[in-house]
Amino acid sequence: MELNFVTILYVGAIGLLLIGAMGLVMGNNLFRMVLALVLAEAGVNLLLILAGYRGDATAPILGIAPAGVQMVDPVPQVLVLTAIVIGVGVQALAVAVLIRVFRAYGTLDARELKTLFEFDVAAEKGTEPPGSTQAPAGGRPLSPVPPRPQADEASS
Amino acid sequence: MNNVILPVILPLLAAFLMLPVARLSAVVARLLGPLVLLIGLVLLLQLWFAPEAEPFMVALGGFAPPLGIVFYVDQLALIFAMAVPLFTLVFWNWSPGSDQDAQGMARQDALMLLLAASATGLALSGDLFNIYVFYELMSVASFGLVALTGTGPAQVATVRYLLLSAFGSVLALVGIAILYTQTGTLNLAQLGQLAPTALQGPAGLAAFAFMLIGFGVKAELFPVNTWVPEVYATAPARIAGLLAGLISKLAVLVVVRLLVVVYQDTGAAQLMLVLGTLTVLFGEFAAWRARDFPRMIGFSSIGQLGIVFIAFSIPGPWGVLAGLAVALHHLLIKSALFSLANRWSGSLEGLAGGAKSAPIAAGLFVLLALSLIGVPPLPGFWTKILVLVGLAQEGAALHISALAAILLVTAIEANYLFRFAIKLYRKSDQPPAPHRTLDIGAAALIGIAVVVVTVQIDPVGDKLRAVARQAADRTTYITTVFPSEPGIAAREDSR
Repeated sequence: MELNFVTILYVGAIGLLLIGAMGLVMGNNLFRMVLALVLAEAGVNLLLILAGYRGDATAPILGIAPAGVQMVDPVPQVLVLTAIVIGVGVQALAVAVLIRVFRAYGTLDARELKTLFEFDVAAEKGTEPPGSTQAPAGGRPLSPVPPRPQADEASS
Repeated sequence: MNNVILPVILPLLAAFLMLPVARLSAVVARLLGPLVLLIGLVLLLQLWFAPEAEPFMVALGGFAPPLGIVFYVDQLALIFAMAVPLFTLVFWNWSPGSDQDAQGMARQDALMLLLAASATGLALSGDLFNIYVFYELMSVASFGLVALTGTGPAQVATVRYLLLSAFGSVLALVGIAILYTQTGTLNLAQLGQLAPTALQGPAGLAAFAFMLIGFGVKAELFPVNTWVPEVYATAPARIAGLLAGLISKLAVLVVVRLLVVVYQDTGAAQLMLVLGTLTVLFGEFAAWRARDFPRMIGFSSIGQLGIVFIAFSIPGPWGVLAGLAVALHHLLIKSALFSLANRWSGSLEGLAGGAKSAPIAAGLFVLLALSLIGVPPLPGFWTKILVLVGLAQEGAALHISALAAILLVTAIEANYLFRFAIKLYRKSDQPPAPHRTLDIGAAALIGIAVVVVTVQIDPVGDKLRAVARQAADRTTYITTVFPSEPGIAAREDSR
């Protein structure tokens, strides 16, 4: 495979997707995970644009392109426009919900939130808090379970 | 015949008008939603009972496919399109609401209408990108509905659900991009025409895998269903019921359309079979360990959807029939169970003695549980036997392991459902509070439907067989969308 412009773009698109996926899987801060999602979406948008790209063609606008010159496929571009709009909407919603999470719990650390979430749900349902029966007998390999913060009663 | 667009357009329009209308008159705004959904339901019922049961195609805006986008209306699409307004009405927020909270109620109603509009559109769409747009709209509406409850845990669940779901959409879009590079079209019928030549290789299969995982987020498919217990434990039971019963089925419908029209003779079905088997095992084992009622039925719904995926992976009309039967059965049963969960939202221990305070609810639970396990002569038995016979007919190693998995999880299912039923009928000092009449009413209606289907199993089975035969026929799909090019569609395989 020769190393031309389009190949580099393909590598970039797939790279962005991979970076986004890694960020989502390995990230621990919810806001950074949203940013990873933004990167992944940029990657897939680039991939869609490349699906209709031709190096020797012009923009698909009637009347601007000189006669006889081929135009790139406009369909993927329209799809990407839609995808960008949807993506922005979802990201804005994500940040809005993140703000509410931060108001309720005072943290965006995914692991910490998971623990607090389990405790809250257990308290609400009247089940035993998680880990109480299956907790290892010795010292914990991870950081100890943080104490239940008192701040969220005021906000809920 | 263009009336079929109205069930999608009207709820969308009403959703956007909801907030301005609520500012003028709270009463009108409250009535707007149910009214619009009823109109949609009546229109779809008219189509369902129309004398000619032939599938037809609606070119939106008058642009013929493949340039224009189409709605493809066959009996399968109609069943699910009708289920959308029906179950949205069942799970509608019927509480009258106070005057000062008119805006809040209007917001919730608008989101419900958005969910209904996009779900109906998803059922009818015959174009992959339109499907993606409707799917995203459905996701956004469901995020909003889960987050609206306002408690802290619900917000955490929403964020995690949103991140997973949005990443699933990215994956689905990657699959769509691959399909587009291979074929240059996104019209399902044209994809079906081109599939035998253009989508045989690993690229086509990769595209399906991406879309299966992507759309599988809503369908609670195995690796991407971690959101299910969190959301169902924190969201209001009506929203959880809507997501588990209705929305998951529509995501399945998208995958089934892809499988039937585009991927009929590749390894795609095997991939779905493997993931379905894993989903079944994961869901039912987790349900066995669950300690509260919403999460128990939530995990059990993952297990049931695994069976749906297994059933649809059986090739030919038999697979579509089995999958359709399991999907509809699960749609009914899970909706009823989640209506019961509206009041029974606590731990399993805390619900001991529930039969004392809510005898009807306990009786309904036993009926629904028996059908879910598959005790003859309830409809659940026939759905499971269809899947098992279909798997046995295929007879390959993968199919037999799926069969064994289904039999194993049936035992597990019976164990945890009966364990809870016994708990319900135990003596207790503090029985849980009785249900609201509305929840019991919804569950009882579905319970009656289950009994009616049990008695009338023959006509229902015949109808479903006809629907499945029509839906499994790829040539019909292609010739309906492209009536002028029968030559291309004629070189179909004879299955």
